[in-house]
Amino acid sequence: MAHLVDGVVAWPVLLGGTALAAGGLAIGCRRLELERIPQAALLSAAFFVVSLVHVPVGPWGMHPLLNGLLGILLGWAAFPAIFVALLLQATCFGVGGITVLGVNTVALAAPAVIVHALFARRLERGSRAVWGAAAGASAVVMTALLLALALALSGREFRPAAALMLAAYLPLAAIEAALTATVAAYLGRVKPALLAGPAVLAQGRDA
Amino acid sequence: MSATAETGAQGLRELDPRARVLLALAFAVAAVALRRIDSVLVALAAAGVAALLVRLPPARALRRLAAAQLTMAPLLLTLPFAVPGAPIVALGPVRLSADGLLRAAMLWLRVNAILLAVLALVGTLDAGRLAAALHRLGAPAALTHLLSFTVRYLGLLEQEYARLRTAMRARAFRPRSDRHTWRSLGQLAGMLIVRSAARAERVMEAMRCRGFTGRLPVPEPLGWRARDAAWVAVACLGLVALVAVDRR
Amino acid sequence: MTEALLELHEIHFAYEASRPVLCGASLRLLPGERVVLCGGNGAGKTTLLHVAVGLLVPQAGDVIAFGEPRRRERDFWSVRVRVGLLFQDPDDQLFCPTVAEDVAFGPLNLGRSPAQARALAAETLERLGIAELADRSTGHLSGGEKRLATLATVLAMQPEVLLLDEPTLGLDDAAQERLVAILDRLPQAICLVSHDRLFRARLATRGLELVRGKVVESAP
Repeated sequence: MAHLVDGVVAWPVLLGGTALAAGGLAIGCRRLELERIPQAALLSAAFFVVSLVHVPVGPWGMHPLLNGLLGILLGWAAFPAIFVALLLQATCFGVGGITVLGVNTVALAAPAVIVHALFARRLERGSRAVWGAAAGASAVVMTALLLALALALSGREFRPAAALMLAAYLPLAAIEAALTATVAAYLGRVKPALLAGPAVLAQGRDA
Repeated sequence: MSATAETGAQGLRELDPRARVLLALAFAVAAVALRRIDSVLVALAAAGVAALLVRLPPARALRRLAAAQLTMAPLLLTLPFAVPGAPIVALGPVRLSADGLLRAAMLWLRVNAILLAVLALVGTLDAGRLAAALHRLGAPAALTHLLSFTVRYLGLLEQEYARLRTAMRARAFRPRSDRHTWRSLGQLAGMLIVRSAARAERVMEAMRCRGFTGRLPVPEPLGWRARDAAWVAVACLGLVALVAVDRR
Repeated sequence: MTEALLELHEIHFAYEASRPVLCGASLRLLPGERVVLCGGNGAGKTTLLHVAVGLLVPQAGDVIAFGEPRRRERDFWSVRVRVGLLFQDPDDQLFCPTVAEDVAFGPLNLGRSPAQARALAAETLERLGIAELADRSTGHLSGGEKRLATLATVLAMQPEVLLLDEPTLGLDDAAQERLVAILDRLPQAICLVSHDRLFRARLATRGLELVRGKVVESAP
């Protein structure tokens, strides 16, 4: 599961993660113009809903993260959008944790921003399916690595769980790649302006 | 229900949302600091009391708790084997230790205690008051507006998703582990995103039609009363006491 | 006596315990019939159609489709293949990027290969006279086009029964005419929910009305 729970992360990791999250949120909020808030909010809500979908994979299944796609569409604004979604998940569904909100936010949002930097322009111009797949897979891999790192740094007793999480998530990256590719291709055909959107959202008046 | 319990319930429900957010956070931090299982049990009991005082509907609470259990699965399964200590069962390199079981149990109890407390204190708040509370506690305006809007449209999107899924079901769609399913679910996600974006544009246009100039209304001021301060003080004292006793 | 294709027997349904919608509603649909179901807003017409294909589970009553009683979700899969339900709001039904893909969705669920599904979709669109909509984006269609597109998505599964929930809602006169002409040519048994008097007069062989949760005979 792509959420850490309360009580497993060591204090240094917790504080470091929370500080990073605060930084990311500061940048993200500054880049989020008030006029773009309805769009960011609706996208955040859409991702929240989609993350509840159960996608059958083999005998089990998964819930999509789609943080790569969110990063493509929102850029730095993915930080506040993901934070809000995680806050709602924690307070309404009890999924995730309260003290680890910062760490979870960084684990999901940092890859989103990185993916935006790497792939957004390529998605606009090149093959949506190919670059969408790359964006989806790399975001999930980065998230899994960050979460596993947070666990592993918190104590030797957590290393098997970290390994288990990695083992579960790396194969799921293939499904995320397929899902992200499908959605990116879909958006490219139906509403390509959205894929170009983050340039407006991310730069705001700073550009 | 006795008169005192009634006032208690009203008291907690009417607590200023800022107080509730702060209490939930304080509880979480305190619970994470506990090192002994009996302290964690006390915390769990306290959370249960809070849930009762707020009259948290048990069915809803149980459903939400159930969903959260899965996130702990990897930890609960591996901790008993990974914590060093006197082994109860040993199969070659795999050792199940009593300490490991204890750690797993504490993790489980602690997470559920925090969950229950948060559900009781914050989960029963409506979105507007949560956003207002966060704003008054210093969160940037962009973030609180984002929160309000997201919650507002979450219900709508869930309904839209449900209708689309029902229509897919009506055309004999059965989710399976195959390309057709992944493709269809991906397209469903794409459609939700496209519709959300279109709706966002309409929302902005409607706001502009009503004279929106770029500043969203700030949430109404909340009245902090002596009662709120009293509740927070008492609860914090209790939490500090619990941590102190735990560390002894 | 011809066996009914679809039979609903004493259906009781309530969304909330305090507000019952269907109180012992019964319905029989025979081959070749064109039944029109009327009733005020909130009378339960959509509810009845959804119960018929198992999208809603009634608190009491039986659903018998093609001679077999249907109780569990897995009993209804074959019903949904043979009974096509057209939703009131076309936007609830269209979710693929293009019309052709949406029409192919049904056949793909039935296990056809992608090539077969595409061919079936093209054929269905051709038969309805809307082949030009094949590559259009589902989000950019007019009301009438959306309605015909959703009809194609249902017909592509080659059902024996059609349940149509207010098919003329939001259509102008020309689009309604077109729809009536198309429906008139269809061989399936049809159960139609519609407020439109002229529409009903043109198509219906039998009339039913939902009154206080029960189905009664009325003029078509």
